[in-house]
Amino acid sequence: MAEKIWRIPLVIRGEVIDECDTPFGGRRGGVSFVTPDVRRYMDRLTLDRPSQMADLYQIGFDDIVDYLARLGERLHPDTNPHMQESFELARLTSGLSDSVLRHHYEWIPFFFRPDVSRETAERLVGIANLEGWVEQVSEVNPALRVRVRAFGARCVHVIAGNVPTVASGTIFRNAITRSDAIIKTPSNDPLTAVALARTMVEMDPDHPITKHVSVAYWKGGDETVESALYQPRQVEKIVAWGGFDSIRHITRYLQPGIDLITLDPKHSASIIGAEAFADETTMRHVARRLALDIGVMNQEGCVNARVIYVQSGTDAEGLARLNRFGKMTFDALQGLPASISTAHKAFDPSLKEEIDGLRFAGDEFRVFGGKSNEGAIIVSQHDAPVDFSRMLACRVGNLVPIDDLETAALSVSAYTQTIGIYPESLKEMLRDRLAYQGAQRFVSLGGAGTLFGTGAPQDGIEPVRRMCKWIVDEEADPALLESLATGEAIQA
Amino acid sequence: MSSLYPRLLEDPAHYFDAPYDAGYTLSRKQLDEVHLAGLQKRFHELAPAIATLGALAEEQGIREIRQIDDVVPLLFPHTVYKSYPLSIIERGEFDRLTRWLSGLTTSDLSQVDARGIDCIDDWIALLDKSTDVRVLHTFGTSGKLSFIPRSEKLWQQQVRLTGHCLRDWNGANSGPDLIRNHMPMVIPSYRHGAGSIHRGMNRMVDLFAGGSDNALFLYEKEYFSADVASLAGRLRAAEARGEQGQLALSPSLLARRDEFARREAERPARMQLFFEQVMDRFAGQDVFLFAVWPILYEWAEAGLGRGIKNVFGPNSILTTGGGSKGRVLPDNYREQIWEFLGFSRFFEYYSMSEIIPSCPRCDAGHFHIPPTLVPFVLDPESGKPLPRSGTQTGRFALMDLMADNYWGGLITGDEVTLSGWDQPCACGRHGPYLHSTIRRFSEKQGGDDKINCAGAPEAHDKAIEYLLQRTE
Repeated sequence: MAEKIWRIPLVIRGEVIDECDTPFGGRRGGVSFVTPDVRRYMDRLTLDRPSQMADLYQIGFDDIVDYLARLGERLHPDTNPHMQESFELARLTSGLSDSVLRHHYEWIPFFFRPDVSRETAERLVGIANLEGWVEQVSEVNPALRVRVRAFGARCVHVIAGNVPTVASGTIFRNAITRSDAIIKTPSNDPLTAVALARTMVEMDPDHPITKHVSVAYWKGGDETVESALYQPRQVEKIVAWGGFDSIRHITRYLQPGIDLITLDPKHSASIIGAEAFADETTMRHVARRLALDIGVMNQEGCVNARVIYVQSGTDAEGLARLNRFGKMTFDALQGLPASISTAHKAFDPSLKEEIDGLRFAGDEFRVFGGKSNEGAIIVSQHDAPVDFSRMLACRVGNLVPIDDLETAALSVSAYTQTIGIYPESLKEMLRDRLAYQGAQRFVSLGGAGTLFGTGAPQDGIEPVRRMCKWIVDEEADPALLESLATGEAIQA
Repeated sequence: MSSLYPRLLEDPAHYFDAPYDAGYTLSRKQLDEVHLAGLQKRFHELAPAIATLGALAEEQGIREIRQIDDVVPLLFPHTVYKSYPLSIIERGEFDRLTRWLSGLTTSDLSQVDARGIDCIDDWIALLDKSTDVRVLHTFGTSGKLSFIPRSEKLWQQQVRLTGHCLRDWNGANSGPDLIRNHMPMVIPSYRHGAGSIHRGMNRMVDLFAGGSDNALFLYEKEYFSADVASLAGRLRAAEARGEQGQLALSPSLLARRDEFARREAERPARMQLFFEQVMDRFAGQDVFLFAVWPILYEWAEAGLGRGIKNVFGPNSILTTGGGSKGRVLPDNYREQIWEFLGFSRFFEYYSMSEIIPSCPRCDAGHFHIPPTLVPFVLDPESGKPLPRSGTQTGRFALMDLMADNYWGGLITGDEVTLSGWDQPCACGRHGPYLHSTIRRFSEKQGGDDKINCAGAPEAHDKAIEYLLQRTE
């Protein structure tokens, strides 16, 4: 069978350009694809006149919610051929197995439901801020009236491709903030954002929201494209997900007038208190919840647990406890539903070599699983993680026994995103300590990647608020201003 | 020469005393028998004596080796020799490191008392003093050193084997017999250390040069420190583990880093001095030169620039290897080097620290596997052995039959193409050989421009390392 060459059209402001003549070969999953040469479309891709944002202010927030709702209804992979195609391609390029990937595609419409849109917008920015000028009450200086409104910006999004919801979330954030988006897709998910944009074009080609979304693929770091694109004349903000290399490329183009919002590569962890060993039932319960945090999305996410500190104690009895808990966790991992987690379809061979090595490390580690691609639980027999802890992926977790929770706290750094904690009381006790150590999100153990909330800060920042330009209108009493000019200042 | 086959059948170690070229004349049937007999011998000797091997055999239900491929499930992943936790070294718990190593060797380490030892160099010295193990460490390019428990006897044999290879590679006695007719040794590197190069040095000085008076090193007295070699990896780990790792970096280690940095800073002056000494003492003589290409090119460039050429005698020998170590050399770098050195006889090998014999490269560009190394090409997906016939590409695995105080079975991280089972090489040698297309599997994975939000800050750390090196 001849290898299929996938077509990745370019979508620019309501227009689909399908003259694909630029090949990109040998991507993950052995995929080759062709795209239009984005360099030929640079002048159309960028919005160099800010006045072209005006159409977004002819519509109200209700219109935005309505648009997103209509879009959401069209995005189900069963009925939308573009989403079907992007699912088919993602099956090859993604690290998620089909059942997990399908689950994520099926969830995309949820995020566009009117109730979800409203609540998300309210939480992330505040609808009033998006919809008009909001009075800032001051008791200190009542003579000065200050109003603030959040405006959209012209923004390039360099998105991640580990889950398709990054693409749909970007479209959503762009719409609610009345921004202009140029979405640069990654090679591990080049088509989902295109599928969404094409659906928008087919649904409502002249709608301002459709007109303010472009989706393109170019090879990250392509200097011809990026030096032309990242100019303050035409781009005000860059939202960059993931990869250190891609962010480093972008920082070369930073200058006054360009705001970089980075969602850096991160790792997540868990901390489990001694309460987990209260009895057999509790242990099993905690093991199941831990398995969720390790296994969800096949551990392709930054939110997944990798190193797990467990207050089991480090003496012989403590290790015996922890080894039993490790076995339970491994069993629970194997028992996760297929929509949440499966054996990894492309187990990292370098990681496999490291795990194979541990079997010969004498009494330093116990390994449950790890024979093929089923995932593994590595139980350290001393209070230190494996040396390859940053390679942990493909459903491999490392349990580390500790006596003192301080050992766990000290392991947290600025690279730590989520920490799943058991029990709740421990979370409350540790959260301030862990926050200034560097952690950015605390969840009940098991909730790292399974809870679909309607919006909260991300990676310790508020990216959606930062996507907005916060504009101020100050109004003072004419008489006050007159008195300042004449020097007859009135006492406040 | 025809006597080699029965002798190898009896014990692979007999290759240490044999004409080297005879190893590449065995028939396919003879080679298979030598391989099978060697595997059986080593398995029977070592399985009861090496805890990790015994446990693996037990787990795999393997009690005997009936055919060559039976050994494949018993080959160790190459990560075995660095499977100890790095925290052992950070915390200075060298008794744990001894215990770990003792699970990988038949040598008796029970008398090693590592109390009070706080660095790798001292631990290695302690093993040297109190056991027959002369530990070899790798250079930790992946951030962690491997430790291989090779015995003193094996080191002696390994150096003899190198001498025999130089003598017999192109036919019995076609090359210089350094063991009988010593040559001056010129080595722009360290004399002392426990890396694979350094471990052989003192023995080569005695065996090939006839003593210290007839050898010149860039660093004659300084010791190539395993602690310094591991420092880069430890800094990286410290970063990953936050304060825990940072706290574990002892002041004495940091002080030694400064010493290393000074040595690096002084290196150009030392190299200049070394080169002047080489000219004074050995110009015009046949020498045994042991150096990597980039250093040779550095010499040649400087020397030719000053009109110096044909430095050594025409019957000198160079053994070399390695890549260009990131340095871009001009297309004609070898011609320039030969012009400068005054000879062009050189030996290149495919080799790795974990195995005793090297695989010399022939004129056809192939790396020939000596008869005491049993090669396997494994399917990279399934790990199953591919047929011992035709040309096969996959993961290289091997059993080093010469290793007798540790298990020589190893699955490498290299992707290779292997031929030679059915037909001799164009150079005339029999037996399996590797094509020159060898690469690391880790270089091959994945496409580029792939972004996940979960990522290791590897690149950050590389930058930090680079910075540390640069600011010193």
